[in-house]
Amino acid sequence: MKVLVRAFAGFRDVMGESTSYDLPDKSDLSTLLSLIASRSEESRALLFDNKGQLRGHIILMVNRKRVSRTVIGTLLLSEGDEVALYPPVAGG
Amino acid sequence: MLTDREIQRYSRQITFIGEENQERLKSAHIVIAGAGGLGCPIAIYLTVAGIGHITIIDCDKVDRTNLNRQILHWERDIGREKTRSACDKLQQLNPEIRIDAITTVITRENASALITGAGLIIDALDNFEGRYILNRAALDHAIPCIHGAVCGYDGHVTTMIPGETACLRCIFPEPPTGSEFPIIGTTAGIIGLLQAHEAIKYIIGRGELLKNRLLLWDGRGSTVSYLDLERDPLCKVCGEFQKRKVTGGKG
Repeated sequence: MKVLVRAFAGFRDVMGESTSYDLPDKSDLSTLLSLIASRSEESRALLFDNKGQLRGHIILMVNRKRVSRTVIGTLLLSEGDEVALYPPVAGG
Repeated sequence: MLTDREIQRYSRQITFIGEENQERLKSAHIVIAGAGGLGCPIAIYLTVAGIGHITIIDCDKVDRTNLNRQILHWERDIGREKTRSACDKLQQLNPEIRIDAITTVITRENASALITGAGLIIDALDNFEGRYILNRAALDHAIPCIHGAVCGYDGHVTTMIPGETACLRCIFPEPPTGSEFPIIGTTAGIIGLLQAHEAIKYIIGRGELLKNRLLLWDGRGSTVSYLDLERDPLCKVCGEFQKRKVTGGKG
């Protein structure tokens, strides 16, 4: 199945603005994030800390609805889903 | 009541928003937390719009590295307190309004006193530690807060109304990492002006606010996107506010 990933802010420079990923049917969000991370070391470092945990500040949206990082291992994706990733900016 | 001089000064916007709304702006008290890249454009536009009382809070002194974006601070101000530097220029821009300058770090201990009496808070800080403190104080006093943040080409804005929208902790449960951020001045200008624009709309009650919406500005392609937000029912910060609202008490 194909899932569209929209990256925002600094993620855009590394992952591209909008990328389609091919995943086995019934993959969960965690599988998608690992696939994105496998594309480059830079992507992996942006998404995961050195213990392999998804970085806590990243905002995850699936089909425009916010999802908690606690569900990434159980939230199953479907064909045509849109996943948005936003690493919030902090400066002023 | 507006004076003749004020009616003349604001005539171009009074024809748009009406005298009653201009009086609302005059009666408003807004706290701007931060006199940096966001705080400068916010303060300038709210000053010239005729907000009657502005309190501007910052703990820093002007440094040469601030000058690419913090447009109220000039070469001659290096070493001065940012609040004093900002206050001087703002008062020259509009002598009709009251501007208070407070030089301090916003802490858990002083936040409540700093915002007491304000009708609106603008979060123009540069760190999430301070932003979280401000968020909690805003909820404690049931004062709306307009949040903005920037980095490089990117920025975001949202308007938080206690009891109605997600709070800062619902939106950003964990703070982004890093302390010094690269920034191009125009990004701070764009986000700061969006925050000032939200403030004016909130005061006069016209237009759609960015409630439960996070506006994302991307300067690479000059595009705007939105993320839909909602309250986290388990939020430790605004959950307490909801509880107090239901029980009607402070406990």
